[in-house]
Amino acid sequence: MRTYVVRRLLALIPVALVVATVGFVLIHLAPGDPASIIAGPDASADDVQKLRSQLGLDEPLVMQLVHWYGRLLRGDLGRSIFLRKPVTEAIADRIEPTLLLTLMATLIAVAIGVPSGVLSARYHNSVTDQAFMVLALVGISIPNFLLGLLFVLCFGVWLGWFPVAGYSPLEYGWLKTLRSLVMPAMALGLVQSALVARIARSSMLDVLREQFIVAGRAKGLGERLVVYKHAFRNALIPTVTIIGISFAILLSGAVVVETIFNIPGLGRLIISAVLRRDYPVIQGVVLCIAGVSMLINLAVDLSYLVIDPRVKYR
Amino acid sequence: MAVSDPARRPIELADATRESRAMPRWLSLLSRRKITLAGAVIMVAISVVAVLAPFIAGDPARMDVAVRLSRPSATHWFGTDDVGRDVLSRVVYGARLSLVVGIWVVVLSFILGVGSGVVAGHFRALDNVVMRVMDGLMAFPAIILAIALMASLGPSTMNVIVAIGIVYAPRVARVVRGSVLVIRETSYVEAARALGASDIWLIGRHILPNCLSPVIVQGSFVFAAAVLTEAALSFLGVGVPPYVPSWGNILSEGRLYLQQAPWLVLYPGAAIMLTIFGLNLFGDGVRDLLDPKIRGLSSDRQRAG
Repeated sequence: MRTYVVRRLLALIPVALVVATVGFVLIHLAPGDPASIIAGPDASADDVQKLRSQLGLDEPLVMQLVHWYGRLLRGDLGRSIFLRKPVTEAIADRIEPTLLLTLMATLIAVAIGVPSGVLSARYHNSVTDQAFMVLALVGISIPNFLLGLLFVLCFGVWLGWFPVAGYSPLEYGWLKTLRSLVMPAMALGLVQSALVARIARSSMLDVLREQFIVAGRAKGLGERLVVYKHAFRNALIPTVTIIGISFAILLSGAVVVETIFNIPGLGRLIISAVLRRDYPVIQGVVLCIAGVSMLINLAVDLSYLVIDPRVKYR
Repeated sequence: MAVSDPARRPIELADATRESRAMPRWLSLLSRRKITLAGAVIMVAISVVAVLAPFIAGDPARMDVAVRLSRPSATHWFGTDDVGRDVLSRVVYGARLSLVVGIWVVVLSFILGVGSGVVAGHFRALDNVVMRVMDGLMAFPAIILAIALMASLGPSTMNVIVAIGIVYAPRVARVVRGSVLVIRETSYVEAARALGASDIWLIGRHILPNCLSPVIVQGSFVFAAAVLTEAALSFLGVGVPPYVPSWGNILSEGRLYLQQAPWLVLYPGAAIMLTIFGLNLFGDGVRDLLDPKIRGLSSDRQRAG
């Protein structure tokens, strides 16, 4: 078991290295010199030169890369050009709504997706099953930002049940926060629940074909016990994987949906940074989100230890 | 998403073989599956609209401020936008852009993905390096990496294609590497190797043709993802430039006039949904057709009751 954990942790290193390198390459991919981009179009040649040495851009590329790794290890993401504060601070200011939104959306996706997938599998080929699966197919065809817009139109503009846009921070009371996040979280979660339902259903169907299910039925176990105890536990493994992947998808989905609802999260931060060409912020947010998804993947891998006893002996 | 989805009707293999003389097998299989066929019909219809755009729609850039934000009517079926451009024309030309982006992203991600997947699978020494790079790229959620790449490349249709192509290449590479690893262990590859076949011959003659079918299935999903990602990028204002008629751009304008002009959101939204729905139906069906394992299973299931 310990070797499994250690192996998982070691496997993170090369991935993290590539992620960090991509973050570095991003700024060098832009046409022109990063210093002149950062300084803006009306900076003098002198200013650009000063900025160049300040940023270490006059060093050889390899040395710049080494310094970049060093800074990342120290948790230093640089300073925002526009906001005039450290990128880590800018991210810390904006992360609350994004994380809450992602969490809420994941809960919705799981709460709807897993039960409907399991039910579809239990009543395979029935009317319920087909209805659920048609719904799921429609569900995965709606982009989350479109569903968000439709929600605003329907529940915000026409019915007036929820605020059209905006976010109420936790410090003003969690109930208000919850209310401001209901529509964006539903927009994200409902779309994702369709994917979760499809995976849950097909992994349940796979398990239900196994010998031990036949054996269970043969020795007279009730259908309910067979499905919910024996089959469900085994079908959990692919389902948990997809929940983990969902979290990462929803995190990036939150970035998109925030725009519709004017939620001041990481999404607004990165989009406004792109429009202002504030590269350190772009790099920082991208690396932060990639880092979170890597940790989620690790958590998913480690959760197999609890769900699937076979993993311990590997 | 290579998961069996047995909701759809199983095929009767016996009938399919009987008719195979009259028409190609894939066509007869396709025509037997109403759902897949529906997907194909939707895709063909959208492609026809996209190709014939100049004959169907008016000029998507012509502004007429006198009729700005007017409701759908006989002259403007889908209404007009905030500067009086015809929404129908913009949606029709948007289909064109979506298909162009979809096709080129598939081409680009296949060149990059199949190339690196074959290299990783065939040359064991390079496997670790290539696949770790791919893992690293895949650690970024797709849309986030696309946004970051667009920030560096600058807004243009070409750059949208490049950015999304780079994002989806590792996903193709993974699938290709997986099947190359299986194919290289087969006895026909071993036999060819024993006869002294070169790597290039092995790859071109044996490995590539045999790893095609899982890749083709991947293709329709990459296509759908590309259409979605382009719409999302343009919606966020970091995709194709605002003057280009794209579904994402129309939605992005529509968001600002949601109360006065919901048609700015409803029509391009319906177009995106229909396209993705068609691609998903078609992709699911093609996956089942090309995967003999799943095909076998569904006929088994039918026999079982």
